[in-house]
Amino acid sequence: MRAIVKNGIGIFIPQGFLDGNKTSSFLSIEDIEATSNLKVDMILVSLKKVVFFNRNGLDAFVKMFLKVRAANHATVGFCDIDKKKYNAILKFYKDDINFSIFKTEEIATLFAANYKNQNRSVLLYSEDKSQRSAMAIELHDNGHNPVIAQSESEFLNKASAQNAYDVIIEDTYLGQMGQKVATRVTGNAIIYTVSSFLDVEIGNTFNIAYHNNSLNVGFRLFIFDAYKVVSMNIHALNFFSKLASSAAEYNATICFVGMNFEKTPPTFKETLEDSGIMFFEQMDDILQDKELLKELGASAGANIKNKRVINKGIVTELPNFIDATVATIEMMTNSKAAKEKAEVHDIIIEQTKDKIASSIGFYGDIDGMVILVFPTNIAKTACELLIGEKTDDMELVLDSLAELVNIVGGKIKTLLLDEDISVDITLPRTYPNIESLLEITQGRKGVQVDLSFDNDKFLFFLTR
Amino acid sequence: MITTQKINNYIDKIPPAPLALKKTIFLLNKGELIQAAKAAQSDLALKAYLKNLVNKAVYGFKNEVSDISQIFGILGVSGSQQAVYNYMISLLSPSKWQLFKLNASSFENLQANLSKKWQMILAHLEIKDKDIESAITLLPASIIVSEALFCEKIEDVNILRTAKALDYNTILQRLCNKDLFDICEQISIKWEMPSKIAQIVQASSGVKPSENEEIDKLGKWMHLLLFYELSQAQNIEAGLNDFIDFQVEYIGDIYEAFSTLMDIA
Repeated sequence: MRAIVKNGIGIFIPQGFLDGNKTSSFLSIEDIEATSNLKVDMILVSLKKVVFFNRNGLDAFVKMFLKVRAANHATVGFCDIDKKKYNAILKFYKDDINFSIFKTEEIATLFAANYKNQNRSVLLYSEDKSQRSAMAIELHDNGHNPVIAQSESEFLNKASAQNAYDVIIEDTYLGQMGQKVATRVTGNAIIYTVSSFLDVEIGNTFNIAYHNNSLNVGFRLFIFDAYKVVSMNIHALNFFSKLASSAAEYNATICFVGMNFEKTPPTFKETLEDSGIMFFEQMDDILQDKELLKELGASAGANIKNKRVINKGIVTELPNFIDATVATIEMMTNSKAAKEKAEVHDIIIEQTKDKIASSIGFYGDIDGMVILVFPTNIAKTACELLIGEKTDDMELVLDSLAELVNIVGGKIKTLLLDEDISVDITLPRTYPNIESLLEITQGRKGVQVDLSFDNDKFLFFLTR
Repeated sequence: MITTQKINNYIDKIPPAPLALKKTIFLLNKGELIQAAKAAQSDLALKAYLKNLVNKAVYGFKNEVSDISQIFGILGVSGSQQAVYNYMISLLSPSKWQLFKLNASSFENLQANLSKKWQMILAHLEIKDKDIESAITLLPASIIVSEALFCEKIEDVNILRTAKALDYNTILQRLCNKDLFDICEQISIKWEMPSKIAQIVQASSGVKPSENEEIDKLGKWMHLLLFYELSQAQNIEAGLNDFIDFQVEYIGDIYEAFSTLMDIA
């Protein structure tokens, strides 16, 4: 069984009865290995489709939790439980509970710091006072407004008020939280989460290849969520200064949010500012300020100084890229694709109206970027399978389009691996209109392939 | 990926039930066990299947049973009809499974376990109806149909399922507006199975509750029984645990009775 990954959270959804030795059948050694290698900041096992479990049944997942956390410091736990299941898990593991339990997946996402849903008003209660405090601190750090009920009666009283809170938290237990340099995307800004002591280890834990390729794909705003950073030493200072210099070559901006300099020399801040890093007190100061976001580059990519050219290595693999794309779109739309022409030049989009686009980068043995330009109606059709119904909500369509392009990326990765070419893929980026795409692709040569799906024109562009 | 045309082609390719089987079922319906056994004798594959089936541990016979008339005598009319329908469904199974890690033997085990436990459930519910008893035989057809439709698209489905928790039934419904259980119903019509069988199996999908109270109740028991079986280690390893979506709310009111009956601690 493999985890489904969305918004930086990997989730397993076993079904039926978890008892005896059966759960080891859910997770093979390869499954655990693959989970440990996921670039996520939370791994959950949802029990919403489980009607019965015992301790033996949960043990295989708990063992997986330990391995995953040891490998990548992700937060791990169970979710989607009712009071009976919650009490049963606490009883099974008593003082040995080193994972989290979240009543719902939605509650878990509040602790995964998904800034799409930030600033939620949250009522919380736990019998355990230290749990109440720990939850409140985490929620506050993640940009929410927690209200703690000090007693069950107070909780019930407050919870009964209609629409007073966005989320009500009970039957939730926080185990050890993750310490990973986590990555997530909001709009078109990439947010990295750093915590505790920033020292020479940052060079190992920060995925520099991923960062560089995000730059190449067109991301221009990188925010370090540093609320939980205690201090920084000279090695980390050098690391971030170098990161800022390389970002400058792409006209990209690096910001730190919530960094406290009580235990870090103030001169460090000056040095970082000199290298181009900006500091903000609150995440909202950036994310809620549309003008500032635009200025910092999160609304569109700026021109790249060192443009790269496509090379033979990539062009040789073109059929794999086309196959992956065509197969995915055909699968999602149940239509047949016809290739019209393939040429090498700058991207040419004849009609720009009613089109949306998405891009995904790949890096490793070869590197580059795939751009897909969809007529809006094809994108809607293609996303229907994922959404489950027709929708005109463009934000939802763009979100689903990102998932779709992720599927294309996954398929490209698989096809290339068949030829012993190993690549990783970046997070997908979406463009609500062609103008924002053209700002990224300006001056980039690539292979443009025009395709038609049941007479709807679709454009594939492969560049570096 | 999967089109309505592909589904139609699949249904068209299903052969009509062999004559010997039709005759056996016809005679079983009339309660003529000896004549039915004679008709079944002429189909060697059926004979071998029945022998193999009733000698599985789940049936609990101490000595090997090999004679068809003896088998029918032990199973009775309804049990014999159930066994013959199980054989008919097994005719649809592929020679080599690709999507699910199954083989002829493990599929037969699944059929036998479902059938035996369904009999327990019907005894608990005090229902004596051979068509209802045979309804369980159509359920594994949904697994065969998934295998047939998706086996060439394993990679696509796997990649799709890394992004979204979609079961095969939902994927098919969204792509073709027709699901696995609709196809099972088509099979039952083609094979002239009693309509009650398809109605119960449709309800057992968990997403199409029946307006008929009795059918709906049986649908709930069958849905939960299916997931009880799909939670067994060999079926989890076969990749069957999430081939359709388990509707926990649907079975809420029968769970306690089920767990008592199945002796779930």
